[in-house]
Amino acid sequence: MATTDPVTATETKPDAPKPGTQSSIERPTSRLRKIVTDQQFILVIVLVVLVIVFTAINPVFFGLGAAGNILVQWAPIVLLAVGETFVIITGGIDLSVGSTLTVSSVIAAFAMQGLTTAGWSEGPTLLVGALICLGIGALVGTINSLLVNVAKLVPFVATLATLGAGAGVALVLTGGGPVQGGPPNASTLSAPIGGGLFSWPVIVVIVILIITGLFLHRSRFGRYTYAIGGNAFAATASGISVAKHLTKVYVLSGLFSGAGGFVLYLQLNGGSPSAGTGDELGAIAAVVIGGASLAGGFGKIGGTILGALILETVYSGLTIINIDPNWNQVAVAILIAAAASLQAVRGIQHRRKA
Amino acid sequence: MSNHTASRIWTRRLLTATSIAAVATVGLAACSSGTASGGSSSGGTAKKSYTIGFVVGASSDPFFQAMKVGAQSEATKLGDKLIFQGNATTYSPATQIPVVNQVLAEKPDGLALAPTDPSALQASVTTAHNDGIAVVNVDSSVNDQSDVISFITGDNNDGGQKAADEMAKAIGYKSGGTYQVVVGLTSATATTNVERLAGFKKEIAAKYPGITIAATGYSQSNSTTANSNINNWLTEFPKLSGIFAIDGTNATGAAAALQAKNLTGKIALIGYDAYKTNVDLIAKGVFTALIAQDPAQEGKDAVDTLDKYLRAGKKATGIQKSVTLPNIVLDKSSSAADLQKYTYVQNG
Repeated sequence: MATTDPVTATETKPDAPKPGTQSSIERPTSRLRKIVTDQQFILVIVLVVLVIVFTAINPVFFGLGAAGNILVQWAPIVLLAVGETFVIITGGIDLSVGSTLTVSSVIAAFAMQGLTTAGWSEGPTLLVGALICLGIGALVGTINSLLVNVAKLVPFVATLATLGAGAGVALVLTGGGPVQGGPPNASTLSAPIGGGLFSWPVIVVIVILIITGLFLHRSRFGRYTYAIGGNAFAATASGISVAKHLTKVYVLSGLFSGAGGFVLYLQLNGGSPSAGTGDELGAIAAVVIGGASLAGGFGKIGGTILGALILETVYSGLTIINIDPNWNQVAVAILIAAAASLQAVRGIQHRRKA
Repeated sequence: MSNHTASRIWTRRLLTATSIAAVATVGLAACSSGTASGGSSSGGTAKKSYTIGFVVGASSDPFFQAMKVGAQSEATKLGDKLIFQGNATTYSPATQIPVVNQVLAEKPDGLALAPTDPSALQASVTTAHNDGIAVVNVDSSVNDQSDVISFITGDNNDGGQKAADEMAKAIGYKSGGTYQVVVGLTSATATTNVERLAGFKKEIAAKYPGITIAATGYSQSNSTTANSNINNWLTEFPKLSGIFAIDGTNATGAAAALQAKNLTGKIALIGYDAYKTNVDLIAKGVFTALIAQDPAQEGKDAVDTLDKYLRAGKKATGIQKSVTLPNIVLDKSSSAADLQKYTYVQNG
């Protein structure tokens, strides 16, 4: 496999700031320093500190109930954020993820409403709903890739257009109100099983995340993704079809958004035109807190997963300790600034060593 | 008014871009329907046709959709032309003022305005008045009413009080008992939210001292956020007796949370605004009661008042300076006819 892979020659550790510019020789003395400055290690510490602080203020926080809530809220956001991670590693951005989530859940809700009225049973109806969500997601991803590759729009503008269009379509279709009348017991699926920690959607999302993590960090697809973000010209020169790969990355992001739409359908027991409003910024925040660089070439699934978990922990924690939820925005802003500055400082350290 | 601006500050720019795209679609639809009614009114009738501008907050909200239906049918009946406009999704003066200016540029004879801010829209009302355009306020109002011929609204304070009465009934209130309830709001400043909460608190303080409001939170017009708030409160307050969902977005989020946790019927849920999906959930026992307004009647009365005023050469008698429409309580005992009558019309 390695012989057919044009990137292998220039490949470096995925946590180097700019693959291709970094020496692959690691000094043994820098190991300890590397652990201390490792983004994921720091994120785990931050998470532990948050849990301790919230628990100290209100012990109810340290329990299955609160943890179960956090995971339910985390599931749709982490799906968006993981798709976004791929796009951001290529040096692009996908602003349409929240709208895609909304529009896919709304259209699937109409379909499931129709099928339920027609007498379909719960299982097949939900299966069709899930496929519609993924289909709409893939469609939006395809439109994004055409706008980027064919219409030659920069990703920010291309996906800003689909963000607006998606939100508008969802409003026109629903007339502003929620769409219900699908399988009546759908929402019980998103409740934690047996009052424990995990619900079915959360379990499925965790499986998806493991597969995706291996896919990004172990496959040729993943190496191409990093290579394009590190240096698109070098990637082209080494034989990668950048346009073709970007198409796959945007469709992948769309699929993740569609999957998020289905998870949110289950959570809200219906489609809602406001379900994903603003979620694109939650997703980007999770990716940035997770240590990815908006300049491209750099980022990890594990970081994004922790980033999304921290966001939802802050959100639930502030509610449970009865702090004005508007402070949530301030807390998230501080986390983003801290994560981005940490990453910038580390980037300088890496360059100095090289 | 039930849906308000999404106010995450750091998302504002992007949301503005969203609404530009959205208003292009919905705005065009509103324009074309206005033109159509003008065309039909010009044929045949001898009496003069008036042009009435109608500007609301977030026009995609089913509350305003229902208002539009009421206004449009009355305008068609009277042979007037209606220009119904509003930003599609955002309830804010920044997005409403340009829409008002655009409608005023079309030189209507009258303007029905649901101002999104009591002081920011004052200048627009003065401008209209100075141009000889008759102005009524509907749903919400500007501070200085001297240039406004009538203000037609649902009573939010009364709605909050009725919600408190329904809550007490639903949780089986007995004096000496202690009960915890939570209130899901959209934002801390939207006047409708403020008034409903004030009415709710006033009634509890006066009649039900055993009820404490354990927490309040904001959904920022997002049903997912509303849902998360309720989930967290259900964990925080294991002995929770009831939820007051102050508008449609919160009602959607709260209903899903109770259904997911199998707490339907165990925790009282009082909702506000008669979205069709919420009305349907009364029969299933998810909503103990819904406080409904009558936006279609508000729209009808606004058009009717303007028409009467214009037709009488602005010397009409019998126009009330302030009209407050009563709220309706919908619950399991409501007749099917009432449930249907008060459900907000949705184009979906």
